[in-house]
Amino acid sequence: MTTPFQPRKPRQFVGTYRPKIEGYQKASGSSEFLDDIASGLRFPGMIHAKVLRSPFPHAVIKSLDTSAAEKMPGVHVVLRYDDPEIASLKPTTNSWTSFNTVSYDKMYYPNHRDRKVLGSKAHWAGDQVGAVVAAETEDIAYEALKSMVVQWEQLAFELDPIEAMKPGACIIHPEINPQSNILPSEGLCGPDVFRVRGDVDKAFATADEIVEVRSDYHFADQGCLDTRGCLLNWHKDELTCWTNLYQADQTRMYISQMLDLKLHTVRVICPYIGGSFGRSNTGDQSFFIFTAIAAKRAKRPVKYKHTRQEDFHDTRNYVDWSLKMSATKDGSITGCYFNGIGDAGAYSEHTIAALKYMTGFEMDECLLYHIPNMKMEGYGVYTNKIPSGCKRGIGNNQLNMALFLAVELMAEKLGMDPIDLTIKNFSHEWEKPPNKSVTALLREGSKRIGWENRLPTNQGPLIDGTRKRGFGFSLHDGWHTAWQEEPRGMVQLGLKLNPDLTVILDAPMAETGCGSNSCAVWACADHLSFLGITPEDIKWVEKADTETGLKDMVQTDSSVSFLHAELMPEAAVKLKLKILEMATKKFEQPVENLDIDDGRVFLRSDPDKHMTIREILWNETLVPIPILVEKLTPLDKTGVPFEATFAEVEVDMELGKIHVIKIVQLNDCGTVMYATGAEAQLIGGQAMALGEALTEEIIYDKSTGLPLNFNWVDYLIPTMLDMPEVEPVAMEVWEGAGEYGACGIGESVTTCTARAIANAVYNATGARVDSTPFKPEKVLAALDAVDQAGHSEKEEVGN
Amino acid sequence: MEKKGPDTAKITINGRVHEFCIGRDIEPSETLSYLIRERLGLTGTKIACDQGACGACTVLLDGKAVLSCMTLAIEADGHEVITVEGLGDNDPVIRAFAEQSEPGYGTAMQCGFCTPGFVMATKSLLNENPSPDLSEIKQGLSGNLCRCGCYPAVARAVERVVEQEVK
Repeated sequence: MTTPFQPRKPRQFVGTYRPKIEGYQKASGSSEFLDDIASGLRFPGMIHAKVLRSPFPHAVIKSLDTSAAEKMPGVHVVLRYDDPEIASLKPTTNSWTSFNTVSYDKMYYPNHRDRKVLGSKAHWAGDQVGAVVAAETEDIAYEALKSMVVQWEQLAFELDPIEAMKPGACIIHPEINPQSNILPSEGLCGPDVFRVRGDVDKAFATADEIVEVRSDYHFADQGCLDTRGCLLNWHKDELTCWTNLYQADQTRMYISQMLDLKLHTVRVICPYIGGSFGRSNTGDQSFFIFTAIAAKRAKRPVKYKHTRQEDFHDTRNYVDWSLKMSATKDGSITGCYFNGIGDAGAYSEHTIAALKYMTGFEMDECLLYHIPNMKMEGYGVYTNKIPSGCKRGIGNNQLNMALFLAVELMAEKLGMDPIDLTIKNFSHEWEKPPNKSVTALLREGSKRIGWENRLPTNQGPLIDGTRKRGFGFSLHDGWHTAWQEEPRGMVQLGLKLNPDLTVILDAPMAETGCGSNSCAVWACADHLSFLGITPEDIKWVEKADTETGLKDMVQTDSSVSFLHAELMPEAAVKLKLKILEMATKKFEQPVENLDIDDGRVFLRSDPDKHMTIREILWNETLVPIPILVEKLTPLDKTGVPFEATFAEVEVDMELGKIHVIKIVQLNDCGTVMYATGAEAQLIGGQAMALGEALTEEIIYDKSTGLPLNFNWVDYLIPTMLDMPEVEPVAMEVWEGAGEYGACGIGESVTTCTARAIANAVYNATGARVDSTPFKPEKVLAALDAVDQAGHSEKEEVGN
Repeated sequence: MEKKGPDTAKITINGRVHEFCIGRDIEPSETLSYLIRERLGLTGTKIACDQGACGACTVLLDGKAVLSCMTLAIEADGHEVITVEGLGDNDPVIRAFAEQSEPGYGTAMQCGFCTPGFVMATKSLLNENPSPDLSEIKQGLSGNLCRCGCYPAVARAVERVVEQEVK
């Protein structure tokens, strides 16, 4: 049993343990998700769109006969790639942005417009090409697609990014790069060598110790229960879109720009969403466009929703990192040279951000800044596999795998505890090591996991003749602090105070599960406490709607937990003033003579003269009082807090199975906005990260290029039985600017787990598993390598 | 049960008897989940994998958990189905999931898409074993996936239901 979190600054609602605001709704099945809205009962005449998918990893449609489909009863629309309206659509990406609103011209990776909404060339097995059918039922739509006679020209394909980089490899996107499969540079992320500080070669030449490692982090699916989709419905020339991708305002911009529609004719509504985990960062999906065109032609509402198989659609970015690290005897890390190869799969999506942006512009600033010599180099490479889009912790998890392997090995060489080496070297730009947050997390983590029980590498006893036990940890910077959210622009918040002192809170977001809606309500209740109300008196507007609501805050990370909350003090001041202005008539006193507290307005000079706010409001026009606040988040560069994972594992030496006994997950949150919600993230992140570390893997048949396990029977997501003991530790050490100065934690909670486990396996056995997932066959091979090294060492000694 | 025509299926859903003409009201090939959600509009039951791997679509058939995506509607002929909508406003399991906020466990749901399935699986578990211990809870709910990873809080919520029932 963990010690309950104690807030640095106690507040009545923010930072407390409470049920989620929509807990009852969700548990009773009454909260509405896309599927619950997009139903024939709600939209009579609704039909279903499905798209043809390539059965080959790399192929071109030479001819397509859709005549049988067009005649099939129940089929309303057949769209073909060579239809003039389809063929004239602009080339695009599914990753215009990750969290702000951008136009076509301002999309993040304009050099990587490698997608057609519906083209004739397939770049991976599963690619959506050729034709779309909209029909009465999903079954009829699939039958119609099956009836199409497609002549494919199969092309050579590449599954391995290293092979795909070599001269002579088949070129996957000649329109992007005719010479090679390497992605062209992008302004956002810089050239191939994207970060240089000092002189790493000199650092390596003068170092006392050098460590060279390589690790890779694989494709892993987001696995949201609620598969991606939309419902599109035209009313004359106005289009309404319901979707479970989490960005209403950006989706409106995307549809408007791709279909050349005025913004006020496109309305996007996001209901509750059954998980996102990064997938919505590739929210600018082609399916919105072909579904909209199908709906227009059918003159009916059209639903497009992935099956479970189809929802294996884009994944975490695979990155293979090599890292060379140098240090001096006193434990100063003097240089790091990172060289990464990012497997983009079939479309670039956020590959370059995962590889370079997160590494160069986030981690170097926030984690590695005080290492004097730094060189970072990276190459994104196309292959004919599932596109690597975006998943929770984008780029960070991959680099952390390499970095904290190097730290573990370097500490061993230097004869230091890796915790001391970490504290000595890692911090953000604005604080020299030792960083307070890093130190606090690692000291607390060591205590909770029992770090003092850790023995030197492979020195522990064999338990029951088969198992060895070890401890590991890893550290990473947190991100999504207020100043890092600047590109979002203005945050908007609306309040309506009803005359009975209930509140309608327009803190627009698509709620994906992060708990940000609850946080907004807690902050609202705290700041409006002068009304004498509780969270039960506040109704959060649950759908993000571009027509009736304000600009939605996109749920990247759980940063939305504080973005709206930061506007609450100003909203409260404005509301107070409006109430006092109404009270002036009743009291026949100017505003400055009045004050307000606990549901009453009173005379400052004589508090016994008072009226309840309800009395004042109820005797007015009964028009609700509206408040609108628009503000940038505080942009003072206050650095970032950190997070750490500690793992205790047992390794079965015969079966190669890793048994995770305990995980301690520690996040410095700055301010914990919602204690129960934060602990849910800290614990839940471990479930996802454990899957990535141990069992989840997309498997390809190398001879055909076909993925083999796009289903949840063979793609192994952890269940309740697979969960070890997880101790969540939410801390408040770092302080950001603003009212709360909080930092999102939703992404970073998954970042360190795989490395912490791998380091624990190394500590237990001396075996290095540096490629996720750590399946038994990899562990056994690593154990064999330790044995062989041991034998040759003995032979050398013998000789 | 009353006599019925050969081409009809008589299914009690949340206490109400429905008679469906097979081929007209329901198709022989349609799943129970389709009937519940798309024909009757009982959308509390969720579809996440549609391949019997995640438990989101769990309903009770004669008190026992079944995956409604893997059950044909006509298999429920002559049986009693309970969906999450049939549990009543003060159901202790729904309440326990909704109210879970005990320190150290987190909330019992984040996105909530799996939650009705967990609630129904819990009902079935408690029907069979009114006082399961933690390992029995884990075993009993291991067929349900929660991608947000709220497993410890779910288990705790179930433990709390058991504790309350014992009181």
